[in-house]
Amino acid sequence: MVEDWKSYEPLLIPDIPNLHKIDVYEDNGGYEAFRTVLGDQDKWSRKNVTEEVKAANIRGRGGAGFNCGLKWSFMPEPDDRPRYLACNGDESEPGTFKDRNIFEFNPHLFIEGALIAAYAMSIDTIYVYVRGEYIDWVNKFEEAVEEAYEKGYIGNNILDSDFSVDLHTTYGAGAYICGEETGMLESLEGKRGYPRVKPPFPAQKGLWGNPTTINNIETLANVPLVINNGAEWYQSIGVEGHTGPVLYGISGHVNKPGVYEYPAGMPVMDLINDVAGGIRGGKKLKALIPGGASTPILRADQLEGVSMDSNSLREAGSMMGTAGMVVMDEDTDMVDLLWRITHFFHHESCGQCTPCRDGTGWLEKVMVKIKNGNGEIKDLDLLLDMTTMMEGRTICALADAAAWPVRHTITRFRDEFEARCKKSVHAVA
Amino acid sequence: MPEVFIDNERYEFEGDHMALQFILDQGMEVPFFCYHPSMSIPANCRQCMVKAGQYIKDDETGEYELDENGERKIRWFPKMQTSCALKLQDGMVIQTQETSEEAERAQKDTLELLLINHPLDCPICDQAGECPLQIQTYKYGPEGSRFEVKKVHKPKRVELGPRVTLDAERCINCTRCVRFTEEISETNQLTIVSRGDKNYPMTAPNQEFDDPYSMNTVDICPVGALTSTDFRFKARVWEMNQTPSIDITNGKGCNIDLWTRDNQVLRITPRQNKAVNDYWMPDEGRSAYELFNENRASRPSIKLDGSNQSNTSWNNAIETFAETIEAHSGDDVLVIGSPHASVEENYALNKFFNLLGASNARFTPHIIDGYGDGFLITDDQAPNTNGCRLLNLNETDHKDLATAISKAKVCIILSDNLVGRKVVAASDLGNTYTISFATNMTETAKASDLVIPITCVAEHAASYVNIDGRIQRSFPAKETKYTNRRLNLEMSEGRLDRYGTNFDNWVSEEHKVDCLPLWDFLNKLAERLGLDYHVNHSRTILAEISSAIPSFENVTFEKMDEQQGIQLNLDNQKIKQK
Amino acid sequence: MAEQELHFTDEELNEIEKIKAKFPTAKAATLRVLWVAQKKYGHVEPEVQALVAKTLDLPESHVHGVASFYTQYYKEEMGKFVLDVCTCLSCQLCGGYDVLHQIEDRLGIKAGETTDDGLFSVQEVECLGACGYAPMVQITNGVYANNLTEEKVDKLLENLKNGKMPEFESMVMRQNEKRIKAATE
Repeated sequence: MVEDWKSYEPLLIPDIPNLHKIDVYEDNGGYEAFRTVLGDQDKWSRKNVTEEVKAANIRGRGGAGFNCGLKWSFMPEPDDRPRYLACNGDESEPGTFKDRNIFEFNPHLFIEGALIAAYAMSIDTIYVYVRGEYIDWVNKFEEAVEEAYEKGYIGNNILDSDFSVDLHTTYGAGAYICGEETGMLESLEGKRGYPRVKPPFPAQKGLWGNPTTINNIETLANVPLVINNGAEWYQSIGVEGHTGPVLYGISGHVNKPGVYEYPAGMPVMDLINDVAGGIRGGKKLKALIPGGASTPILRADQLEGVSMDSNSLREAGSMMGTAGMVVMDEDTDMVDLLWRITHFFHHESCGQCTPCRDGTGWLEKVMVKIKNGNGEIKDLDLLLDMTTMMEGRTICALADAAAWPVRHTITRFRDEFEARCKKSVHAVA
Repeated sequence: MPEVFIDNERYEFEGDHMALQFILDQGMEVPFFCYHPSMSIPANCRQCMVKAGQYIKDDETGEYELDENGERKIRWFPKMQTSCALKLQDGMVIQTQETSEEAERAQKDTLELLLINHPLDCPICDQAGECPLQIQTYKYGPEGSRFEVKKVHKPKRVELGPRVTLDAERCINCTRCVRFTEEISETNQLTIVSRGDKNYPMTAPNQEFDDPYSMNTVDICPVGALTSTDFRFKARVWEMNQTPSIDITNGKGCNIDLWTRDNQVLRITPRQNKAVNDYWMPDEGRSAYELFNENRASRPSIKLDGSNQSNTSWNNAIETFAETIEAHSGDDVLVIGSPHASVEENYALNKFFNLLGASNARFTPHIIDGYGDGFLITDDQAPNTNGCRLLNLNETDHKDLATAISKAKVCIILSDNLVGRKVVAASDLGNTYTISFATNMTETAKASDLVIPITCVAEHAASYVNIDGRIQRSFPAKETKYTNRRLNLEMSEGRLDRYGTNFDNWVSEEHKVDCLPLWDFLNKLAERLGLDYHVNHSRTILAEISSAIPSFENVTFEKMDEQQGIQLNLDNQKIKQK
Repeated sequence: MAEQELHFTDEELNEIEKIKAKFPTAKAATLRVLWVAQKKYGHVEPEVQALVAKTLDLPESHVHGVASFYTQYYKEEMGKFVLDVCTCLSCQLCGGYDVLHQIEDRLGIKAGETTDDGLFSVQEVECLGACGYAPMVQITNGVYANNLTEEKVDKLLENLKNGKMPEFESMVMRQNEKRIKAATE
């Protein structure tokens, strides 16, 4: 658990006005990492860059927490096929609103990270896919991309090296599933966002059948930090097994909601009480969803001594996800909350796989029944059984994401659910 | 050789295999809906779940690691696998529903989920009886449903195009139809619209699903979502007989099944043949069933006064025919074979009249240039053009045939609508005594002086050589006045044949056409003429062809049946018929 | 829609060419060209979808499948201002439904409907990624109105009626004190 967080100075979104402008970014050491790499390609061979990033163990900030450098190493050796980096700025998991801050306040850090990634994997085209609702942020980001092109950081023979890469920004049109990495690839190819069957994995057959790596925006923004300061330095931020700066998005019933940057492994209660100013209206904390809607909810009594890192959260019975923390006070109606979550996943299921397509709808309809006071105890058991019918049975993880909140909210707040159900008409033997 | 272990049995394999197809190839079963062997694998129905893992091999020794009981150690995959998309690896262990309760449970769960939004209207659904969803639900599904809330409602009775009707509520979103239009017919006319449980297949707005292969989507739809507009509500599957046959509407010779009830062909569906049509056929070939039922030549007819034909007896027809022959020399008789008729009919006719001194039969191909699509629709409108060529009939163009007709005193035409396809005009037949062997009352038959009704492809066993030189054969599917399903071992017997009686309202004598196989009629004619000609069956004709004409060497019905047709050598067309 | 044939102007076709140049296939431009079309016509009704298909030389069914998959495309004509009220998770917790009901009440329509004067449509939408600034509304796929209260919603409706769109609001991280200071100066 991180204790000295009060002295932490943000690295991903440092407190520098106008940092989104390329001159300001450069004045503050921007693009140094990229220059370093391109300037000394013996020291910073493609393999060495990948190794350094792998050693830093930047855990994917999109929710899965996979080692970024390790993912890069899955790319096959270059052949005559094009190679792609697809940057995932779809950010649609309820409770998550962090990447837009990078687009708005420090876009060049991300661009620099993406360029280094492209160099390391011999990629010739970078796509940045942003959710369609973020059109204002897309426009802001595209200004930054234009600046980077003008300054020669993107394009042909960058900084007089033999490295060339293009960066294209594009955006979706309203579909949570396009945040799933292969759903995003389909959307980038101009299709319905149906996640793909794996294998083959994107590194083998990604965009238009070519080698592709998919990284989250925040993940890539960490890369220049690693190059500038080394993997060892990066490993010193945060806690063992989960290091580096994290953008925590805190929302719900707190006094000061918003995005905050602190090391991984922040004490949960410090984030809620100190950073986010405690529960609104002096109420008591009831529960926390730690990393977006799909991560299992934790009761207040489960949060003692828990920190925001994957190990601690796993022990507590949840997951880090996107670090989008949704805080609930004592007045929160858990039945209503869970119904709305089931509504979300029902609405967003792409409809490809049977268990998800039909399961998410069934979950919501039973939740509506319970919410309206027409539920029976057996409906709770049905819901729990349905989570096992859905989990691990589909192409992508949306069914899992829909099942987990149901399972954990009901088991962790069972009394509240039973109280909403009709009394059994049968005498108990 | 690499090995896999399926339900505790060891199998060897070579090359790339997906588990589901491999299991099916071994004659075992795993339920599935979206998978189709000729299309891409979306793995979206999630029905073919199996438990899978890998025997652990020691990297150094290459030997399997054993546990304390001496059993091989297995590393199970963390999740259930869809077998359709599971590539076999050496040492893979697969447990299907037969040996794994988890797989059985997963399959049952998927079926319960598939059925919650399905209308369960099997009693009024055409697909019932041949419905994978229905069959697999009985075999692998839950006993009941726990679904007590409202189903999703979607469009019903949507005419997607001229031939296909959609009931979106029955759809299970397997995407087979969409993939068919993308990958097989390549018209891209269908897409899945909307999202989640509101998904269903649809055309673009204001567009018709008029794909020339549209009805294949009806065949591959694993539920009753896509049904044939024509066949809807006509018959239940279990009331019909299914007889293998060949599409006679073009030169491809698509392998088909004729579906009959009470001696009427009610629908035609494709029968798989990798070498010809795979699982598909053009929509055009499906409407051919009407030719087998309607406007048939039934009982001989004869022109007595001017242009009016009237029915006559078989005896009178034979007598008239014989007298006409006897009144003319062989040189006066023009025999016209037909690319629309079978190998056996063309051979028998030609041989018969050769014996009477007539010169070799002519035929004229029925080609419409540019009609074909390079897939299953061909320029050739006839099923047996190459058969006529290999029999060495005299291939004649339209003009020469018309000239020959104008010179002949007697013209004998084997089921070919020469008038209808504008080779000659009806009036051109007026100067010659025209005898038509006809299956249907075409313009040509109507213009003829004597019409001998003969059996069609649905009523006899006979072979046809397609544009690629493949010889394939038909089976009798419907009875004529003179055949009997129970006595003819070649004919299949359905439930109604076995248990129905003539007093049942589904049996009608009228559906039996009063016609004879060409060779049977020729037997009778030979007897009257005192000609040494007799064949028992098309089988014996083919045996004779096979020994007489090298192109047909070793060709038998049995071999055709075993190999789904036989490829003939098309280069060898020079042998003259005796 | 009018019978006359729809078409893109040269300027729009230029923009479409630029979009196509980003990708190796024309199909990949489908989403973006639907956006261009929606910007022009205010919706992607069937005729507009057909125009997109024709422009990109793609099957209409493909464009239709895509248009119907993504929620931001208006499959029918909408009001001049489309109020997308987020009611998902954090917004639910922070009064998203109050905002929705208030708007429904003020405009006299239900979610999914358009006012008779064609000025407003209201929709209940899923998470828009503004969870820390809940409750919030997105206006016609554009600007976000954050941290709404009853007064702010009324003011917003009033402004929109007068044709005044809210301005983009920069939500600076509370830790970035210098930035906040710079922004307020």
